[in-house]
Amino acid sequence: MNTILPANNEQDKITDFDVLVIGAGIAGEESSLKLADMGFRVLLIEKEPSIGGKMILLSKVFPTLDCAACITTPKVSETARHPNITLLTLTETESIVKEDNGLFSATLNKHPRYVIEKDCTGCQECERVCPVITEDQFQFNLVARKAVYIPFNIANPRIALIDIENCILCGLCEHKCPSACIDFSQKEEIIQVKVKSVIVATGFKLFDPALIPRYGYGKFKNVITSMQMERELAPTRPFNNILRPSDGKTPGKIAYIFCTGSRDQTCGNSICSQVCCMYSTKQAQLLMGALPMADITMYYINIRAFGKGFNEFYMQAQDMGAHYIKGKVASVSEKENGDLILRYEDIVTGKVTESEHDLVVLSVGLLANPAIIQVFKNTTLELDASNYIKQPDLMQSPAVTSIEGVFVAGTATAPMDIPDTIMSAGAAAAETSGYLKQLS
Amino acid sequence: MKKKIGVYICHCGGNISDYVDIEKVKAAVKDEAHVYLLKNTMFACSDSSQKEMEEDIKTSELDAIVVASCSPKLHVPTFRGVTSRAGLNPYNYVQVNIREQSSWAHSDDPTGATEKAILLVKAGIARASESQALTSLKIATTNAVAIIGAGVGGLRSAIALADMGTEVYLIEKENNIGGHVADYGALFTSDIQGKELIASLQTELKKRSCIKLFTHAEIIDKKGSIGNFDIKVQTGNEIPPLHIGAFIMNTGFDNYEPKEGEYSYGLFDSVITISRFNKLVDQSNGKFIYNDREIHTIAYIYCVGSRQDLEGENKYCSRYCCTAAIHTSIQVKKKFKNITNLHYNRGIRTYGKQELLYDESSRNDDIYMQFSLDNIPQVKQKGNKTIITVKDILSAGKEIEAEVDLIVLVTGMIPRKNENLVHQFKLPVGRDHFFNEIHMKLRPVETVIDGVLIAGTCQSPKNILETINSSMAAAAKANSILTKGEISLEPTLAMVNPAACLICDQCFKACQFDAILETVYENRKVAKINSSNCKGCGMCTPVCPTDAIDLAGFTNAQIEGMIDALVD
Repeated sequence: MNTILPANNEQDKITDFDVLVIGAGIAGEESSLKLADMGFRVLLIEKEPSIGGKMILLSKVFPTLDCAACITTPKVSETARHPNITLLTLTETESIVKEDNGLFSATLNKHPRYVIEKDCTGCQECERVCPVITEDQFQFNLVARKAVYIPFNIANPRIALIDIENCILCGLCEHKCPSACIDFSQKEEIIQVKVKSVIVATGFKLFDPALIPRYGYGKFKNVITSMQMERELAPTRPFNNILRPSDGKTPGKIAYIFCTGSRDQTCGNSICSQVCCMYSTKQAQLLMGALPMADITMYYINIRAFGKGFNEFYMQAQDMGAHYIKGKVASVSEKENGDLILRYEDIVTGKVTESEHDLVVLSVGLLANPAIIQVFKNTTLELDASNYIKQPDLMQSPAVTSIEGVFVAGTATAPMDIPDTIMSAGAAAAETSGYLKQLS
Repeated sequence: MKKKIGVYICHCGGNISDYVDIEKVKAAVKDEAHVYLLKNTMFACSDSSQKEMEEDIKTSELDAIVVASCSPKLHVPTFRGVTSRAGLNPYNYVQVNIREQSSWAHSDDPTGATEKAILLVKAGIARASESQALTSLKIATTNAVAIIGAGVGGLRSAIALADMGTEVYLIEKENNIGGHVADYGALFTSDIQGKELIASLQTELKKRSCIKLFTHAEIIDKKGSIGNFDIKVQTGNEIPPLHIGAFIMNTGFDNYEPKEGEYSYGLFDSVITISRFNKLVDQSNGKFIYNDREIHTIAYIYCVGSRQDLEGENKYCSRYCCTAAIHTSIQVKKKFKNITNLHYNRGIRTYGKQELLYDESSRNDDIYMQFSLDNIPQVKQKGNKTIITVKDILSAGKEIEAEVDLIVLVTGMIPRKNENLVHQFKLPVGRDHFFNEIHMKLRPVETVIDGVLIAGTCQSPKNILETINSSMAAAAKANSILTKGEISLEPTLAMVNPAACLICDQCFKACQFDAILETVYENRKVAKINSSNCKGCGMCTPVCPTDAIDLAGFTNAQIEGMIDALVD
């Protein structure tokens, strides 16, 4: 059906846009804001219930140690409020068809929130009465959440949704809601739009370390991922302290295993993830601040401290006391008390050694997220050898893809850090604007 | 005098509240004059907090607000937006910085941090109570950009801007365009030739009539501010003054030149830099001959001029050199027979997809040896042989000696000496002497000077792909500022009370921006402010002997109120 899309500041019915931006992480936001500032009408869609991507969930950023939430929330609210941006959350692309006139016809699927968006005040009364307890994906399963929930404290939009898979349809939330906005009758909404151009800003996936069984993730409770540590260190952290999962003890001897799922053909990812060395180094600095007595050991292959201020930041972590050991960890085993034994080859001494730690953090890599190519029905969005969106004119026009009128921004093209993502998204905005100007 | 002030104290999710006792701050300021509403918030900048403030302003009819959170550099536009949306003049909002100035600066002393925060908030309340509504000036802007530097980045910025409908003046100080890349052979990771890339960009440039290129040119005069700069360009020909809206600095880098004796550079002919080596590879065909000798064994020494540790040296990593050297070494093996590559490195940094080149090189039987700064490779000559020795970290510190035909110093990037530009534009320069952006993470192409953007390697070392991305991002930013045709200027300008002015020359001397004029008031000469030149810097206010000048947004009444609150 043809649907009404209210723009942020107006109630016109719009089904035509200059550009469809897929993904509202920092790349999608940046491209959208630049194009919207230039006067183009942008439809920005996000499959998650909140925009902000991965960055909004981080603790601090390297090498400035700025609080990630503090610097990203203004951009998030600017995006949500821009008069030229129409934003749809919980929305996925079903198909994109290129028409003979060069326009794209996109079919979108807006999943039901089971909450009336405009009426929800974010009061969280529903959360309090919901009897269901399930894993909180936005805290990377460190803690639980309810079946009706606000994704996280600084989510945008900050309104509830119902996780219908886990909901037991008891109706308690419906009775409790003071603004009567729970609506179990909501259905998937199919939205047809016509757009002149598309920007793919679908980001990356995190490597699942269960694919490397010798590190014990999922089996040993005190082996966690770097994203879980990111949450433990974040201002909106689940505990108010750094804890290890098995017994809630404050860890005193923490190990980082670098290149988990990167530079490793055995798990299908030969390339370097570009950010893990630095985010691990950042976490080490934050941990040394939070737990002054803790020993922190970093098991690495090479340290990729290449960006502005990075090498200095790495030196600083060493000066603060982080212990860097060049050597790939072969395996992790667990003691009865939950402590862990790492077996590794120390390259500097040339010896195979074992060491004990009470918490192990796996510095998981970034993977390509190529599912989006399937929505292009009569054209082919090509991938490169590493499964990222192919950039056929890499050196001159990195935002151009194999389809004319479809552009790409951020980590959909390659692993990259925040400033590189912002610049890539700016380049995509420039390329798209040039394309739109030449159409008109 | 404002009588219904709303005060918001932000926890910054612990960044502030871990050190500053928010409840104590609230208790201490709740009885300050004119405080009508007092709240604390987890993140004042979050969307929900912003909405709550808007509601408060409307329902409680607040006439001013104070937000005590982080640096005004971060969130002044955010909270000005809040006040505007709620119908309150944005200049009736005052930002107080209790993060950078209290919690972060005094994390070792929570009590002191709390006391300081209390005083700062009280001063902010005093300033808000004397605040006045101000209206931004709207001025017309020119949709034209001057790009300084026609290297690969400057060329790409120019093309992108032209395609978006912005006029471009591309100013290059050399006679030729293309910068370093014009001399390069095959580029990683695409294998296209540097000269071909530049030729292709040059062809695109010529197709666009709205790009004017000036070579052998430099800016000799610059006036004005964002949206409207007037510049004079000096070149061989007479050029009329140009009127533009913004600048993009794309001035590039210089190659590090090794010191004489650094790895025996300048002492032995067999020690050369990577740029010289690249040209040699490019120009040689069939046999690889250097100094009448056929080259078979090549040693590459990495991090020459980068990652140094002495005071005054380059502490940074130059980012592109590991990949560039490996790429070259692969080319050499493809082009010539019987080549052995020895890589003396400090940990290879082929980040991202560039890792595939390192893989390829390792599979090609290249030998990698790693050294630390306290044990750098030693280069010696025995007869006509060049010997290199290293304690190799990768073989448990074993000393390894090799006889080589050529030693290639993999030199890094250094910042260009741009004294004139830095002086002319007051460009911010970082500790590493590259230009500094306004915010490293989210605003990498903007500077603290409105209308002056930076792109490419003048900001920090980058490879070509990264240079292109940043150059196009700067183009997008410039176009998004200028395409609307108008811009709002800060109304925080100086104003003269003519009745009090005795027309001494103090303010004329103090003003750096020619913003003070003479006018006539009641048959006598008095000073007057030219608002299009005034930057609101405040230099004229304290020198006025009769207090005839006030700065809007920072009036004498406001400043005195703040001082009273601070010393109370």
